Amino acid sequence: MTRSVVLLFLVREWHDTRHNSRVLPLYFVLPLVAVALPILLAVMAPSMMRDLQRSAEPSTVALAQNLARLSEYHGLPPGEALARYILRATAGMFLLIPIAIASTAAAFSIVGEKQQRTLEPILATPITDRQLLLGKLLATVGPTVAATWAAGLVAILVVDLVFTARGMVAPLPDRYWTVVLLVLAPALTAAVSLVTMRLSARSSDPQATVQTSALAVLPIFLLVVAVFGRLLTRSFPALLGACVLVLLLDVALFRMNVVRFRREEILTTWK
Amino acid sequence: MISTRGLTRAFNGVPVVEDVTFDVPAGTLFALLGPNGAGKTTTVRMLMGLIGPSAGGATVAGYRIGGGADAGRLLRRACGLLTEAPGFYERMSAGDNLRFFGRLYGLPERTLRAQIEHFLRLLELWDRRDDAVGTFSKGMKQRLAIIRALFHDPKVVFLDEPTAGLDPEAAIEVRELIARLKTEGRTIVVCTHNLDEAERLADAVGILRRRLLVCDSLQRLRAGPAGDGSLTVQCTLSGPVADHALALRSGPPAPRVRDVRAADATLTARCLPDEVPLLVAWLVGRGAAIREVHAAADSLESIYLRAVRGEQ
Repeated sequence: MTRSVVLLFLVREWHDTRHNSRVLPLYFVLPLVAVALPILLAVMAPSMMRDLQRSAEPSTVALAQNLARLSEYHGLPPGEALARYILRATAGMFLLIPIAIASTAAAFSIVGEKQQRTLEPILATPITDRQLLLGKLLATVGPTVAATWAAGLVAILVVDLVFTARGMVAPLPDRYWTVVLLVLAPALTAAVSLVTMRLSARSSDPQATVQTSALAVLPIFLLVVAVFGRLLTRSFPALLGACVLVLLLDVALFRMNVVRFRREEILTTWK
Repeated sequence: MISTRGLTRAFNGVPVVEDVTFDVPAGTLFALLGPNGAGKTTTVRMLMGLIGPSAGGATVAGYRIGGGADAGRLLRRACGLLTEAPGFYERMSAGDNLRFFGRLYGLPERTLRAQIEHFLRLLELWDRRDDAVGTFSKGMKQRLAIIRALFHDPKVVFLDEPTAGLDPEAAIEVRELIARLKTEGRTIVVCTHNLDEAERLADAVGILRRRLLVCDSLQRLRAGPAGDGSLTVQCTLSGPVADHALALRSGPPAPRVRDVRAADATLTARCLPDEVPLLVAWLVGRGAAIREVHAAADSLESIYLRAVRGEQ
């Protein structure tokens, strides 16, 4: 039953999203932006490498030399090591897609049902709170992750094409990109969706939910990236640790959402 | 089939439904009447297990409300609910909306398809099954919502304001459908302000205004407060009636009447059918010029107004 309910919500929510002028463009615009940056870097890599050779900037030279000493860049010229490292860091763009899309799409999840007056008929069916919330969660996570993966795939193909066309080894996906795309992005999508769904259940206006969710989620994400960004792009165990933490956060948030989902509060406070 | 005992619900310490006790036997239609804000929807939500009672309890279709998650699921499966607002996905077709809700009820695909076709044909919506619900009239949406309340074959059906906002033709169609449901042996609870509707459909009536003011079979209620089959008699005279009313209240040799009321030229009282000619003769004997006499059993409207005004 749970699997069919989840699929049911996935299909129905996507039907709604296709007609939601506030959400649908995000599925195309943000992936395009995320794809543009690594491709731009790949195109500019040769000139970056030339500039580095001419550069007298000691810190940049030191960074490039440090990177060239890392095992995965072993044997590469410092300029190429730097280009590949910067390319790796652009994986962070693929974490912004889930944050932006999920915080908007999930805002409609519960309050959208309230506005359409469909929540009471849904709650009158035998589905459980867990099934409803899981269905709603995956209805947001599924399309968001699909958009992220599609964008990631396009970026990998184009970047590799640009590198191999110049006689260099294809740089992507490295293990960081693989983990970011396959694990961290979906886990982060779920975390953002769960926070936004909680806000959506308490709200009466999707727009207000989007704003509150952006205020709650984006600054925290940027702060985490600012503090741990360099660590996450240089230490693979740190990246794996971040994945585990976000997955644990997902489990905790889902449990909290189920426990705090009060059918009667939603029904009686919504007019 | 439905049994409530002292059912009470308060919000922020303010009771909305208080000490409500009634029984609805299987296969009967119970009309829950009351003004806006009387607690009808809250009562239905409690009986559906959507909200919990603050005190008291109830059993619906053999399941105790507030009896845990599993009992709640079984209770919701055994009941159908027509909500006050139909609530559909407006961009989805009627068929897709029903399929969505049918799957939430866990109906097997073949049963679901058959039930959707059966009810859409029955309510003359089959030709519109592929049209978006947003293009439907209010009456069509209401019929669709009734299908949603029925297609999983519930034992108990709660209909919250089933004809509210419908044009007369659509209201008649919905009433006919409810009457048909009754003949199928389902237990039905209808919340309505429409007294005429309740009078036509209900076997028993409850008048709610936070508390249950009146609750009995329609037959017994019509028989009057004393249950003796007394009638309400309205005598319209050409002059004032206050003196006659005063004399009637003072008792013999005046005829045996009760609940005497005087308003301008109309004197209203209750008495047994045999007493009506005696009352008329008594008034004529006092020199009253009678223009019109109307004697009838209590209408639901008068029962309702008496109950609600009495409470005020």
